[in-house]
Amino acid sequence: MSPGSKTSAVLFGLSTIFVALAAGFLLDFRGQPALLYPIPLVATNFLDTATVRRSYADLVRAGDDLSDFDCYACHERGKPPRLRFDADQHLIVPKEHSDVVMGHGRHGRNNNCFNCHDENNLELLETRDGHQVKFADSPALCGSCHGPTYRDWEAGAHGRISGYWDRDLGEAQRKACVNCHNPHSPRFPSRQPAPGPHLLRPVAAGAASSGTPSNPGSEWVSLVGRDSWRAAVETKLGVLAREDARPTGAVVKLAQYPSR
Amino acid sequence: MPAPEPNFTPDAAPADAGVTRRSFLRTSAVLTTGLAALAASLKPLLQMNDFPTAERFLQKYYKEMTPDDMAKVIRRIENEVERQYGIRPHVRDLKPMDGVEFVYCLNLTRCIGCRKCVHACVAENNQSRNPEIQYIRVLRLPDGSLDIEKAEHNYAPESVPEKGYFYMPVQCQQCKNPPCVKVCPVHATWQETDGITVIDYDWCIGCRYCEAACPYWARRFNFTKPSIPKERLNPEMSYLGNRPRRQGVMEKCHFCIQRTRAGRYPACLEVCPAGARKFGNILDPNSEVSYILKNKRVFIQLKEEMGTSPRFFYYFDV
Ligand code: HEC
Ligand code: HEC
Ligand code: HEC
Ligand code: HEC
Repeated sequence: MSPGSKTSAVLFGLSTIFVALAAGFLLDFRGQPALLYPIPLVATNFLDTATVRRSYADLVRAGDDLSDFDCYACHERGKPPRLRFDADQHLIVPKEHSDVVMGHGRHGRNNNCFNCHDENNLELLETRDGHQVKFADSPALCGSCHGPTYRDWEAGAHGRISGYWDRDLGEAQRKACVNCHNPHSPRFPSRQPAPGPHLLRPVAAGAASSGTPSNPGSEWVSLVGRDSWRAAVETKLGVLAREDARPTGAVVKLAQYPSR
Repeated sequence: MPAPEPNFTPDAAPADAGVTRRSFLRTSAVLTTGLAALAASLKPLLQMNDFPTAERFLQKYYKEMTPDDMAKVIRRIENEVERQYGIRPHVRDLKPMDGVEFVYCLNLTRCIGCRKCVHACVAENNQSRNPEIQYIRVLRLPDGSLDIEKAEHNYAPESVPEKGYFYMPVQCQQCKNPPCVKVCPVHATWQETDGITVIDYDWCIGCRYCEAACPYWARRFNFTKPSIPKERLNPEMSYLGNRPRRQGVMEKCHFCIQRTRAGRYPACLEVCPAGARKFGNILDPNSEVSYILKNKRVFIQLKEEMGTSPRFFYYFDV
């Protein structure tokens, strides 16, 4: 073999190796980036801003079916319906009103229809202190028995006000009690929760999820595997907490936390 | 006198022969390794799909931009979004209002842990859907405890609320004394006069110091290019708020700046079925938040011992 052909053979071999290496890096033979697994888009019902219930006022506004509120289609004016009770003094709700499931208060303490409905004019409600109010103004009825909650609601602390916090720029809508509470069974209904957070990589069934509950971000942090910067910053923070510690006005009193 | 010629040995190549076999092999081995290493180190560029444009590269610091500069930047962003998503967005740069300081109050007695706020936030603020970026974490805690170490965020029962637990959504607390701002080496994040700590995504270098500094795990990093399906893009955007982010930048809750600086409530509040979320101007004595801070008795400012002084108050109806 002449030195010239030897050189070109080596040259050829080396270029092949180089091309192969370059291809290898390009196609990423090792260290494939973490494959993302499909995450389904969240169902749009979880994005819905509608309240739990539609009130009488909502039905009127939307021009929907109001036949449930047309009391005198079935009842006779001037002839109040008679309440019937079973042997245990529990109210019997007639089957025509099967949508009315009474359960107001933990002990059904407010199950009497005429605590709220006006006996002599079924199309009106009657507050505890004897004022007649229209169905559309039902918060006044609720407020006659739930004073403190009603005051919170008026101030916007209970219930929900939607729209504009800046009333100069737009309108705000205060949701009515019956938007969230069924007047007959006012306990706030439970519901299916929206999906929880997905980890960056799927976790094998049964395996504990990465990221301690206390640090929901840690699954992201551990991905990089370099926590030293975190330690560095936390050291810095230690100084910060000391320098900036201040006496606090707000209180955290665990003993005061009432259980649900 | 010239120095004597070195001894001539037969196996050394003559000086003028250029390349010997050995030096050729050595050089080419070094060259191969070197080029391969170069190729490897440049490889991330292949994955980079939004090269900074000259415009973005030369952009001024947010606080130094004139209205004209900002108008140009907004046009650039609108063009970029339109190119990528096929939707012309409406990008604004809303400024803090005079006499407004935002405060958030969250009623822990009312929250039922349904996580609707989490997803409404994602929809409003154009977070990446995969990988998933969410600004709000809802923690589930056993009744009567506030030990965050015992919290669980992966709860998945048939229905909520569950007996024996309460729920605590955590998001950016918009601290008066924000540690994240202090650690940012490039001033890409700062606190505005209405109390919102903002991030300029065009200024962020992605060092993630702020993420580490935040005691509330409120900041999220775009490890990969965010993905948002076109049909879920919210075109109503603001510069410091919900405009789409790039790979390699930080993001977090900004109290829905694009809504709240236009007078509206944030998206998480609007979607809350229980009415647990309250937002408003603490400088207005008639606002809901003023009423709550005056009339409710128990407040929790999360990890307040760190001196962060959050503008986010948790309270109970007692
Ligand atoms: C579809 C027909 C129908 C409509 C509409 C209707 N009712 Fe009745 N309601 C009945 C019947 C039937 C009974 C049982 C017989 C009775 O006591 O008159 C009844 C009974 C009642 C009772 C007594 C319940 C009990 O426990 O004994 C009350 C109170 C009452 N209705 C209120 C109303 C009010 C208020 C409205 C309008 C908001 C209304 N009803 C609309 C058919 C109707
Ligand atoms: C706590 C007060 C309260 C009590 C007690 C009460 N109601 Fe009602 N009821 C209301 C209010 C308020 C509305 C209007 C709700 C709305 O706006 O959606 C209403 C609506 C109705 C309606 C029309 C809508 C529907 O759900 O069909 C009927 C019928 C009715 N009540 C029947 C009864 C009967 C029968 C009883 C007794 C068994 C009763 N109510 C007890 C407050 C009460
Ligand atoms: C006549 C007085 C009265 C009126 C009017 C009244 N309530 Fe009640 N409410 C009560 C009583 C009594 C309880 C039971 C308190 C308890 O059990 O501790 C109660 C309990 C409740 C509860 C708690 C339920 C639970 O299971 O925890 C809710 C919510 C409620 N009412 C909402 C309303 C709404 C909404 C209205 C208006 C449509 C209303 N109430 C009108 C007397 C009233
Ligand atoms: C945006 C929805 C919403 C509106 C509007 C609303 N509530 Fe509530 N309310 C709730 C929730 C959620 C609870 C907590 C229920 C639970 O803990 O299971 C609650 C609890 C209550 C309770 C139970 C006592 C307590 O403090 O836990 C009463 C009473 C009550 N509401 C009355 C009212 C009255 C009266 C109005 C109108 C003036 C009203 N609510 C409006 C959502 C609402």
